[in-house]
Amino acid sequence: MNTAAREGAVRHLYVHLPFCASRCGYCAFVVEVGGRDRRDAYLGALLAESGTQSAVLGSLDTVYFGGGTPTLMRPHRIAALLDAVRPSLAAGAEVSIEANPETVDREHLEALVAAGVTRVSIGAQTFQPELLATLDRAATPDQVRAAVSCAREAGFASVSIDLLFGVPGQTTEGLADDIAQAIALRVDHISWYELELKPGAALTRRGAVLPDDDWAADAYETIVASLEGAGYRWYETANFARPGHECRHSLAYWGAADYLGIGVGAVSTIDGERRRNAPGVDRYIAAEGTPERALEHLDTDTQRRERWMLALRLDEPLDLAWSGPPDHPDALERLVDLGLIERVGAQISLSRHGRFVQNAVLSQLMEYA
Amino acid sequence: MIGVKQNLIRNFCIIAHIDHGKSTLADRILQLTGAVSDREMRAQILDSMDIERERGITIKAQAVRVFYTAKDGETYQLNLIDTPGHVDFSYEVSRSLAACEGALLVVDASQGIEAQTLANVYLAIEGDLEVIPVLNKIDLPAADPELHGRAVAELIGGDPEDVLRISAKTGMGIQEVLESVVARVPAPTGNADGPPRALIFDSVYDQYQGVVAFVRVMDGEFREGDKLLAMQTGLTVEMSTIGVMTPTMVRTGRLAAGETGYIVTGLKAVGDLRVGDTLTIANNRASEALPGYREVKPMVFCGLFPVDADDYPAMREALEKLTLNDASLQWEPETSQALGFGFRCGFLGLLHMDIVRERLEREYDLDLLATTPNVEYEVTTTAKTELKVRSPADLPAANHIETVREPYVRCTVLVPQDGVGAVMGLCQDRRGVFVTMEPIENRLQIVYDMPLAEIVMDFYDQLKSRTKGYASLDYELVGYRESPLVKLDILLAGDAVDALSMIVHKDLAYPRGKALVERLQKTIPRQMIEVPIQAAVGGKILARETVKAIRKDVLAKCYGGDISRKRKLLEKQKEGKKRMKQFGSVEVPQEAFLSVLTLGTTGDGNKR
Repeated sequence: MNTAAREGAVRHLYVHLPFCASRCGYCAFVVEVGGRDRRDAYLGALLAESGTQSAVLGSLDTVYFGGGTPTLMRPHRIAALLDAVRPSLAAGAEVSIEANPETVDREHLEALVAAGVTRVSIGAQTFQPELLATLDRAATPDQVRAAVSCAREAGFASVSIDLLFGVPGQTTEGLADDIAQAIALRVDHISWYELELKPGAALTRRGAVLPDDDWAADAYETIVASLEGAGYRWYETANFARPGHECRHSLAYWGAADYLGIGVGAVSTIDGERRRNAPGVDRYIAAEGTPERALEHLDTDTQRRERWMLALRLDEPLDLAWSGPPDHPDALERLVDLGLIERVGAQISLSRHGRFVQNAVLSQLMEYA
Repeated sequence: MIGVKQNLIRNFCIIAHIDHGKSTLADRILQLTGAVSDREMRAQILDSMDIERERGITIKAQAVRVFYTAKDGETYQLNLIDTPGHVDFSYEVSRSLAACEGALLVVDASQGIEAQTLANVYLAIEGDLEVIPVLNKIDLPAADPELHGRAVAELIGGDPEDVLRISAKTGMGIQEVLESVVARVPAPTGNADGPPRALIFDSVYDQYQGVVAFVRVMDGEFREGDKLLAMQTGLTVEMSTIGVMTPTMVRTGRLAAGETGYIVTGLKAVGDLRVGDTLTIANNRASEALPGYREVKPMVFCGLFPVDADDYPAMREALEKLTLNDASLQWEPETSQALGFGFRCGFLGLLHMDIVRERLEREYDLDLLATTPNVEYEVTTTAKTELKVRSPADLPAANHIETVREPYVRCTVLVPQDGVGAVMGLCQDRRGVFVTMEPIENRLQIVYDMPLAEIVMDFYDQLKSRTKGYASLDYELVGYRESPLVKLDILLAGDAVDALSMIVHKDLAYPRGKALVERLQKTIPRQMIEVPIQAAVGGKILARETVKAIRKDVLAKCYGGDISRKRKLLEKQKEGKKRMKQFGSVEVPQEAFLSVLTLGTTGDGNKR
């Protein structure tokens, strides 16, 4: 393998900050509740890992601080991390951070902007107090609105909010109100996910019941239509942006680009190899920058299938020359006939209906086995 | 103790409904008699068992020989002959009965007589067997020996006093059973010196020994080395060994008139030694074969297709192997536009079909799709040619048919009084023609003539569900009758799916078609586009349902840490599709085929 030639090619960095004040009802991520006394030690380990990995980094186009609750790390710690990679940061790099509304104020957000963070993604989830309680979210709808306006005033280039639909107990009226409030905030970017009940999440253990498929389909269609009507571009399955505010870091994932992930449980994909850092904050700290990693080799077929899986999430066409052929070319013809796929030369895109049933289309085209 | 005079031999079998205690009683008989001849038999059993263990032979004893010293001081050779328990195998049952002079009729003292028992009792009486009535499980609190004892006695024309009362479970009354066998079952009366004749009442294939025939010697004597002749098939057969089951195989070197035992041949398929055939010795041949031989014909047919087309050769091999041991299984290659390459298979009945399918799936690890079972129709075309049609696809267009005839069965149902309405309603719905109704103990025996095609469509399940499990069923073929039959087609997205076609009575085409498309609509999952499901006869649409389109099928979040997990989710989804068949743009799961397979409710206007 010619790794030497590839060195210095990775342009996207993900930094995992696992600390949370409490665990949300739908969460099954690698998070660490509390851990106030270990944040400096964790920061040290992150700096050590970024040091050991610095050779793979090229000119960084995007950095993303995800969590956990990244805003539980004080801004000076974020600044220290950014300082460590600053020599690699390209001009105009996108630097994103996830924020919980109740953890930030004007001063905090200004300090992040000063440190070089350009984009903030605020976890709103819903504006309905009873649903926030179901989700075990700490923030009130007022705090969400306050965080958005503080972020604007602090000078972020892009402000995004995260929302959920399909929350147990969610009503059609409640959803309509969420849509109206989200639009009224006039943010640059909205991520709107359907709630999944993951094994291990508290909601799952409590036996929560999701709304039925038809309700969820109605909700999804309504969200897409409403946000498009408000001037957002439905540029990815669950993401909407005002023109120019698409998340470049995420686009890198969906474009199957290489990325480096550092921190506990973080995943990297570099040169056909995917590796996942072991879970466990204490072990991560003890490893001093060389955590244990689970490796997964991605052969060329797997890479090709992933390109299809990722790129069909986008509203822009996939180029067959880039993606490679589908496993079942005959299915492609059939899907075109059914109006699920549109094809112009080597450019393949999902029709509007096709985007809603992306998995079904993929399973016709590809042999994920 | 091998050679015994005929007057000290008793050949008998046990007639009982499932769960009425046949095998428990058989075990008790072996136990009781085994203790008597413990020492002298042990050596023989061990000898033969070593060889058997070495060669892994595990042949189920179809006839067990035991010795019993009766109160009269004589030691009798008792041959207990096994009988298959299900309605599909009534011919085999009749041949097992023909090997006996007597039968123990075992009836559960709390449940009474069931329809299949009744059928077998009639067979035994017809065959002049001495029937010894036995009420089992009299230790149960629910036992009603007075009521059921009277009924059993009445059935066989005996005295209620003579009905034995036992509990095979506790061992109570077993000795009395054996004493009755000795006292009441007639000894064999064959001509011990005449030309040898033996009735084959079962045959099995063993991979180490070849075909093993279980026989009852009627006349003369067979010795190892004799060259055999099967009189019906005309096949000459080399015998390798001859012996008896005790219940392990014990080689005796000879079998004399009146005795029951096994003959090992070098043959490769049980079809060569058919149940009911007569064995004789080639250079001392009998002039006449024993009566009652019949060629067994399959009555129920269905197409079996491998889900994975690559399994076709493996499936052929599996069928070849099964046929070695199952002469009544027939099969021939079949091609279906919808299901690809497979086989049209013929079975004795529904149970036989289930057994074969299960063995193919379990023992040979095949995933199968089965088409709606059907019967064999006789068609006279307008050009006056005669056709036999086993597959709906082979039915000529309606304008080329002059007449169609279908097999009818006489169907006997035993049911408590309060179930009579339900049973008669079901029989009427299934085109039954009422024959008789009469009381049998505290129940009614209802007899209908009915198209076999109606029985193969989950009639039995319906019967059970409508009578809360209290009805019991037996049926026998009574011949072919003319019927106005049409081919009902099912169209998915406008295209007929041959595997879903069926032949139905024209008056039932609408209700059946309607029920069928409704059921398909429920079992076919949402598709990527809306799919119409239609039922049609000769191009005329009778009923229609629509499978809705999927509206949302996406993976929510998919970022750097999620990619592998999401890919695996898609792989899992693909796994679920393996049992789906693709028809154009429509994916049909196996359950959809099964839902049609169990279509009985169809048009009965009364869904479960």
